Amino acid sequence: MHPILNDISTNLQAGKAKIVRELVQQALDSGVPVKEILDEGLLSGMNIVGKKFKNNEVFVPEVLVAARAMNQGVQVLKPHLVDANVKPIGKVCIGTVQGDLHDIGKNLVKMMMEGKGIEVVDLGTDVQPATFVDTAREQGCRIICLSALLTTTMGMMTEVVQAAREAGIRDQVKIMVGGAPVTDAFCQQIGADAYTPDAASAAEKAVEFLTGEPA
Amino acid sequence: MKRDMKAWKEDLIKAKAKCALPILSFPCVQLMGVSVEQLSRDPALQARGMQLVAERTPACAAVSMMDLSVEAEAFGATARFMPGEVPTVKDPIVQTPEEADALKVPQVGAGRTGKYVEAIRQACGLINDRPVLAGVIGPFSLAGRLMGVSDIMISCYDEPEAVHTVLKKATDFLADYVLAYRGAGAHGVVIAEPLAGLLSPGLAEEFSEPYVKRMSGAARSDEFLVIYHNCGNNTPLMLDSILRTNCDGYHFGDAVAIAGLVGRVPEDKLVMGNISPSSQFLGGTPEGIREATLGQLGACSPGHPNYIISSGCDIPPMSPWENIDAFFAAVQEYYTGV
Repeated sequence: MHPILNDISTNLQAGKAKIVRELVQQALDSGVPVKEILDEGLLSGMNIVGKKFKNNEVFVPEVLVAARAMNQGVQVLKPHLVDANVKPIGKVCIGTVQGDLHDIGKNLVKMMMEGKGIEVVDLGTDVQPATFVDTAREQGCRIICLSALLTTTMGMMTEVVQAAREAGIRDQVKIMVGGAPVTDAFCQQIGADAYTPDAASAAEKAVEFLTGEPA
Repeated sequence: MKRDMKAWKEDLIKAKAKCALPILSFPCVQLMGVSVEQLSRDPALQARGMQLVAERTPACAAVSMMDLSVEAEAFGATARFMPGEVPTVKDPIVQTPEEADALKVPQVGAGRTGKYVEAIRQACGLINDRPVLAGVIGPFSLAGRLMGVSDIMISCYDEPEAVHTVLKKATDFLADYVLAYRGAGAHGVVIAEPLAGLLSPGLAEEFSEPYVKRMSGAARSDEFLVIYHNCGNNTPLMLDSILRTNCDGYHFGDAVAIAGLVGRVPEDKLVMGNISPSSQFLGGTPEGIREATLGQLGACSPGHPNYIISSGCDIPPMSPWENIDAFFAAVQEYYTGV
């Protein structure tokens, strides 16, 4: 492995966005293959952050700054990804359900998923059931991820499952749910496909759904 | 009516059969047939709601509405009301260091804060058999509502001075707000600092501890208790910092195993928690909450006289009263057998 990839990973984990951007450009200039920069520099660094987050070794602010560093690096790589035929492992859409404005959990899941090489369509907060379904259908998302913090808005997750059924796409998408009041029992009760208790587990589950293999 | 709250706390610790102190207020809407929004805008309704809860339950104290949108609204943020749900703050109002500098500290009374103080004044007139506790947001949690939750986390690294600027202003207001509650007759306050529970221990030490400590120092007296609440999942890692805030009691959420915390809290401080508000009080059954309560007491109470069973956070407005009643019955059942 080219030593610069380790530097990219290390600086990403420390949240040093500017340095990551410079290192990614240097790696490109040195002829390191785009896919290697992405996989062994950026995604590898973010994976380490995800594992540490799951083990309570790093915390929400550290994940946020690391994800920002990763995004800065990806921006440098973006023009080269198509030429190198590097594709995401799949596409998902994510949002906080209608009536709920909380976004920290949703943002963390998005970042962890992007760190696994998944393309994420972020629908924001207060998202109507039809928007999830329409986005999945129109943009080819294979997973719909639903977040809720409020006990009263959890119920909107049921509406999304129902809307997916009514739109005839339920067998084409997996529906993942999460958020402080959400439980595995609730997930099963509403007919969703997976509940995960934290952002890192959500990203791992999404990889499993998209690739058929454990993350 | 003034109370010797220091003696009240000591008596609570000495008592063999203890009462429970859940964060229970908003479910009064079911007893009154009013909406959460009506309640959160009307001091008389709030006081009456607290009275009804006190009449129905043997809780150690009456606790006011934990409406954590009130303080940010006083600073100029917009609160959003949803049917059956506690109000939340819509959008951040501080997005740059310049906006942090320009942020004005409101007077107590701005927005709905005057109504909440008045509610405590009226509640103290209606409830005489137990202390009345007010509720306020903690400084980092307020700053997070003003700056945006994700943004403040990143700003702890990028713009720490701006975060401290907002925290200082938030604490200026909150310290006055707590003193207004004390002046209205409250016997104590619960400071809810949930957002700090997402920080690393180091960041919590820098961005939460000193500000909570300042609030606590400004308000505590023999007649006024300060209770710290944090329902984050990192509280075990930041417990030393939390204890340095020098409050009278510490209240933890159901994201942590409280049995592992009780022994770490000094014996002269109350330690409280943490039956799940969502899965037990709201979504559970009377049988399930009885089992959870007895289990929690069995795990935490023996050997820890300063442990007081509670909910893990504020109990959602539409939690079935049969579950709430079952919680209190289970507490009584446990202590009858002790």
